[in-house]
Amino acid sequence: MSEILAVRNLAKSFGNVVALKSASFSMTEGEVVALLGDNGAGKSTLIKVVSGVYPPDSGEVRIQGRSVTIRSTRDAMALGIETIHQDTSLAPQLSIARNLFLGREPVWLPWLGALAPMDFKALRQAASHLLRQVGISKDLDAATPVSSLSGGERQSIAISRAMQFAAKLIILDEPTNNLGVEETRGVLRFIKQMKTEGHSVLFITHNIHHVLSVADRAVIMRRGEVVAECSIAGTDVLTIEGLIMGVDLHAAEAAQA
Amino acid sequence: MRLPLRGPQLASLAILIVVLVMFSMVEPKFFSTRNVSNMLAFMPELGIIALGMCLLLTAGEFDLSVGAVFALGPCIVMMLAQNEVLPIGPALLVGLIVCMTVGLINGLVVTKIGISSFLVTLSMLLMARGAALYLTQGFPLRSWNEPGFWVTLLSGDFYIGGLRIYASLFWFVCLALVAAYVLNVSRLGNWISAVGSNRSAAVARGVPADAVKIGLFITTSSLAGLAGMISAFRINSASPVAGSEYELEVIAMVVVGGTALMGGYGTVFGTVVGVILLRAIRNGIIMIGVPGLAYSVFVGGIIMALLILHAVIGRMGGQRRE
Repeated sequence: MSEILAVRNLAKSFGNVVALKSASFSMTEGEVVALLGDNGAGKSTLIKVVSGVYPPDSGEVRIQGRSVTIRSTRDAMALGIETIHQDTSLAPQLSIARNLFLGREPVWLPWLGALAPMDFKALRQAASHLLRQVGISKDLDAATPVSSLSGGERQSIAISRAMQFAAKLIILDEPTNNLGVEETRGVLRFIKQMKTEGHSVLFITHNIHHVLSVADRAVIMRRGEVVAECSIAGTDVLTIEGLIMGVDLHAAEAAQA
Repeated sequence: MRLPLRGPQLASLAILIVVLVMFSMVEPKFFSTRNVSNMLAFMPELGIIALGMCLLLTAGEFDLSVGAVFALGPCIVMMLAQNEVLPIGPALLVGLIVCMTVGLINGLVVTKIGISSFLVTLSMLLMARGAALYLTQGFPLRSWNEPGFWVTLLSGDFYIGGLRIYASLFWFVCLALVAAYVLNVSRLGNWISAVGSNRSAAVARGVPADAVKIGLFITTSSLAGLAGMISAFRINSASPVAGSEYELEVIAMVVVGGTALMGGYGTVFGTVVGVILLRAIRNGIIMIGVPGLAYSVFVGGIIMALLILHAVIGRMGGQRRE
């Protein structure tokens, strides 16, 4: 398996706050990696650097072995990185179709640039095709504004958008946050589907059961650094929780017993 | 996309029709050619500003400096032309460039420094108004009245029957069509709505949010300057105190038309309806004999009633969807 993403000694501070001290890890093609850590561990900052939201202060990002400079979200998308940010992926007042193609609208006369007219027929057709593909076609019209959808439906739309652009690497920031049981299962199914379709997936979560059910490997961060990595096969909830907290919970439980 | 007109737009249109019918029933002279000519002379000047404001509000920002720019633009043009610094054509161009610069500064401070557009454009209102007053020493300038290409282009007029039509009406209609195209059809329109609806989502999709906003601030200032020049040519005077409180009237027009004050949803059609509605109300309540001093009470009251109506309709629409 070849390497899809590697970060080396990535650092990022906001004023006096060190969000990312020196983070390093790598993942291979087709791998599903869970990024774990307590609040403030630097997970979100790490993925925002990789997806072009923040420039890093120092350190290196490599995509498929090639060192890259990601200055903007456009750069990241051009490199095949699609990111689904927590709760902020969609514009609520816009229709599903307009959201799905936001920033990549199909147009007539592309030489007109930003003033080019959108190809509404192509937009609608592609949107309903996509909705059917991800299994939320049931009466959901592509012209429906996103504000009238449930959290799960919104997340499905954000995820299908990422998958549709055939991204090499899909990053999800707490994709199951605020979702119901049924909707959460849907999202986890998506992650498995992404893997079978050959995408690599990096996702942040606080739910260790989700990690065990879909991830190949867990990368654990603490205070701006990657402190541990472990393969999911042969680990358990207690071990991972211990790594997140920085204590040996097995030993603690044994002592209590 | 399926329905060309959504709830808020239909509501504004219905209210407009009711208002027009009511005024014409109480005062038959409301639809006299003379009164309609009067309304058509003045309405497009505010309407042109409202088009820019509509797009800006959709993107989640607004501009309080438009009334001051409406005065500053033509004052600069007339000073340059009358002191024979420049011929009238280049003078108009310089005036427009000054207005664009005002918009550029507004846009840069709002997006790059991150101060709310309320505070930035309020400061700009004071600066632009102060500049106009200082440059003219407080006196209105006589406008350009030598007939010629520029005067015809900006404020030419002709009669259809008894109806006097000014060039400003054509400017307004053409600019409204352009604005409707930009907002509803072009991909830029998708970006404008997205930036106003959820800026970080738009940025995450690679939409150049800051550039979109800066462009809209420049557009709005330019349109305010253009409207000011049209007005100055029409009434043959460039006054440093012209356009006072236009900013509030224009924002009221746009919001009464159904555009969301907090961004994310805008309607050019509704804006045009709002422009006609507010001008008709101002004109009509005087014609039906509301005392001059009580006039603002009624205008304010009607605007508030319209906004309440929109809020109620919006809430009903929201409940139906859930």
